[in-house]
Amino acid sequence: MVIFAFAIYWLLGHPYFVTDRIVMLFSILSLSATLIYYTRAAERGEEFYLRPIPALKAVEEAVGRSTEMGRPILYVPGIQDMDQVETVAGVVVLGHVAKMTARYETSLNVPVSRSIVMKAARESCRDAYTVEGRPDMFNEDMVHYLTDDQFAYAAGVNGIMVREKPAACMYMGKFYAESLILAETGNSIGAIQIAGTASQAQIPFFVTACDYTLIGEEFFAASAYLSQKPELIGGVKGQDMIKLAVIAVMVISTILMVLYESTGFGFNISEYLTIR
Amino acid sequence: MFWKRQVPIFIVALIGSITLFGWFIDQPDVKEFIGDDATQWFDVLASFAIILGALNLIKLQIQKVLYQKPGWQYSVIAVLGFIFAIVAGFFVKGVDDSVAQWGAHVTSDGTLFKWMFDYVFSPMSATMFSLLAFFVASASYRAFRIRNFEATLLLVSGIIIMVGRVPIGGVISSWFIMYLIVLGLGIYVNSIKKDTKVTFVFVAVGVSLVTIGGIISGWPVDQPGIFYLPSIQEWIYYYPNVAGARAIMIGIGLGIFATSIRYILGIERSYIGE
Amino acid sequence: MTNIENIFLKIGSIDRRWIFIIIALVVVVPLLVPIGLPIRATDTSKSVYDAVEALPRGSKVLLSIEYSPSTKPENHPMAISMMRHLFRNNHKVYVTCLWPDGQFMAQDALNQVAVGEFDKKYGEDYVLLGYRPGGEAVVKGIVSNIRKLFSVDARQTKVDDIPMMDEITNFKDFDFLFSASAGYPGTIEWVQYAADPTGVPMSSGVTSIQVNEVMPYVQSGQMVGVLAGMPGAAEYESLIGQKGSATSGMDAQSVAHLVIVLFIVLGNISYFIDRKRSRKY
Repeated sequence: MVIFAFAIYWLLGHPYFVTDRIVMLFSILSLSATLIYYTRAAERGEEFYLRPIPALKAVEEAVGRSTEMGRPILYVPGIQDMDQVETVAGVVVLGHVAKMTARYETSLNVPVSRSIVMKAARESCRDAYTVEGRPDMFNEDMVHYLTDDQFAYAAGVNGIMVREKPAACMYMGKFYAESLILAETGNSIGAIQIAGTASQAQIPFFVTACDYTLIGEEFFAASAYLSQKPELIGGVKGQDMIKLAVIAVMVISTILMVLYESTGFGFNISEYLTIR
Repeated sequence: MFWKRQVPIFIVALIGSITLFGWFIDQPDVKEFIGDDATQWFDVLASFAIILGALNLIKLQIQKVLYQKPGWQYSVIAVLGFIFAIVAGFFVKGVDDSVAQWGAHVTSDGTLFKWMFDYVFSPMSATMFSLLAFFVASASYRAFRIRNFEATLLLVSGIIIMVGRVPIGGVISSWFIMYLIVLGLGIYVNSIKKDTKVTFVFVAVGVSLVTIGGIISGWPVDQPGIFYLPSIQEWIYYYPNVAGARAIMIGIGLGIFATSIRYILGIERSYIGE
Repeated sequence: MTNIENIFLKIGSIDRRWIFIIIALVVVVPLLVPIGLPIRATDTSKSVYDAVEALPRGSKVLLSIEYSPSTKPENHPMAISMMRHLFRNNHKVYVTCLWPDGQFMAQDALNQVAVGEFDKKYGEDYVLLGYRPGGEAVVKGIVSNIRKLFSVDARQTKVDDIPMMDEITNFKDFDFLFSASAGYPGTIEWVQYAADPTGVPMSSGVTSIQVNEVMPYVQSGQMVGVLAGMPGAAEYESLIGQKGSATSGMDAQSVAHLVIVLFIVLGNISYFIDRKRSRKY
């Protein structure tokens, strides 16, 4: 239906359409269709294998450890605002962690760096506690605002770690240079540390200093793992299929470019793949 | 229920779709909405939302002081600092209008706000960042162990980058590196053969070859280039590092794409608590 | 032999505070007693220098400052060296900031270089447009219509009243862009939304940790070289022939890196001894 409508629009002269970007539009539509296909397949009952990710299995272990030790869990959802997808993913994982803390009656401390994140994280925690049947345990101040400034926030979180000595520290979101400051302080207090970020430059610091790290896409797939919802698992499978397609395009493009540049045979595929 | 569920999902789907597909539309109003208005709406929301955060911060700090909770003295400093920043930003300029107008006073020399920035905020920010120097040392010391092949590769490339990147790496001769490699290989041969004679012969031959090569070539510091730390460091940066970085970037980009599409299509509804 | 092994084992389990003290000493001492190690410019730094040197006299250069006091030791020397290079070649410098702290950094750098060293005239040789909130929206705004975004400069002077802004309407009116960046928003946003779509050449100075993220853009030619961290800043200082704080910091950084490598080696020796003993027993 969509393709038919677009075909009519194209034949009518495609007014207002940026023709240079047709390849990008086609890519977005086909990748979205792949995601939707696998999501629907999962909803219909098809089972997909997801490799085990130790960091996500460790989340429940960390909550259990905190409960046994009678110490709180510290959850840091990154230092950026809700306009960053990583922060959104961090708030999603917070919801799952909040369900576990509600179930095990462990206290949860979520210092945030942005006011909108504070509101979103509070809603996520409130609903998690309600779903677990423990709305009485939810306290708005468990999600609290510190400051927008990067290093002032790091200092504030470090202070919380050193004073309250949480048994588990989770860093899930977008981080910058403060990542190692947080992780090393967490290490010095003996907490189990689980990190998840797509911030390329900070992944090595978390890998070095934390017990478990979710690298890049593993972090985005975390909500699928923790919830085990079919539609989310289907989405992860769809992502993998998209990656296969990207690899295939890269290999074919390389061969075509080598052929074109060395023998003149074929066409310059980079012109079609360049975003304008 | 309608306002708490369907309306938010509709707003996300509508604005998300407009922002996504608007990139393909060559119409000034659409382009202006996507390029300027949409992001500025967010900034306006965030700016108002900061009042909520500030009120929350002050409420918690004052509660700590009133109930004398552990560490309440630090909360006094937090509240005083908050009040001082508000006063310096909105009420007390510290100079005449002829020196600095309101608005420009935040960066003009002589104002209270600039004083606060130069003598309070800047040193404290720099101090927190400088902690990284110590933490990198302690983290490296603790984590860089030769446990397996990958850890060894990480260790060796880390050392090459750390030393090759700074001027001292340019002073270390490639012949010194070759001697180190011969000694390292000697240790490896010894761990396999466990024969002192074999190890001695291996190391002796290696050292002799390197020495002869050095004498013949005149011991140039940066030749052979394959053993010169700055050259190796540049190669690692340009090739394996960029290849890995690109792969991770593509993976992260796909992850962001998939997550965003899930939000636009309403599959992921965690922002409303589902 | 056992005594030596025990010493190494003790070193392997040393309290981290000793490491902190040693690092503090090896950083402070070279700052007080400089060694004077030679600085060798890398290809990426040379590319930046050559690109700026090749600009025709009087070119309009956009200099974007997006770093805060925390990364001042890395980024500020880059901004200062770049300003020195630009003013020496009599280019017109337009300064914007994507970070609020960047405006303070820009003001300090301009006071030191434009006013203190080159006696340049505000409004004719350089202008500080200031900070505007919005991240990449600011970059897009500059690309489409800079005058809509910056109706006044940082001194609240109307942009229409500034002589050197007469020929500037949008990003394409600039001949070159240099971004001194410490994170988001910064170099990547400038590449994605400004330099690459318009074809205006750009270069950047970034913190060492960001070089990974930025190097693919350098390799693909979307950026002309990059100044990588304090070493990059020191290299640029040596290329323009005027040493600054980055050069003096390189001695300390060199020694600190060597000491960290030494710690790693000692830690591994201790690890192997410990492993050998646990296998034995």
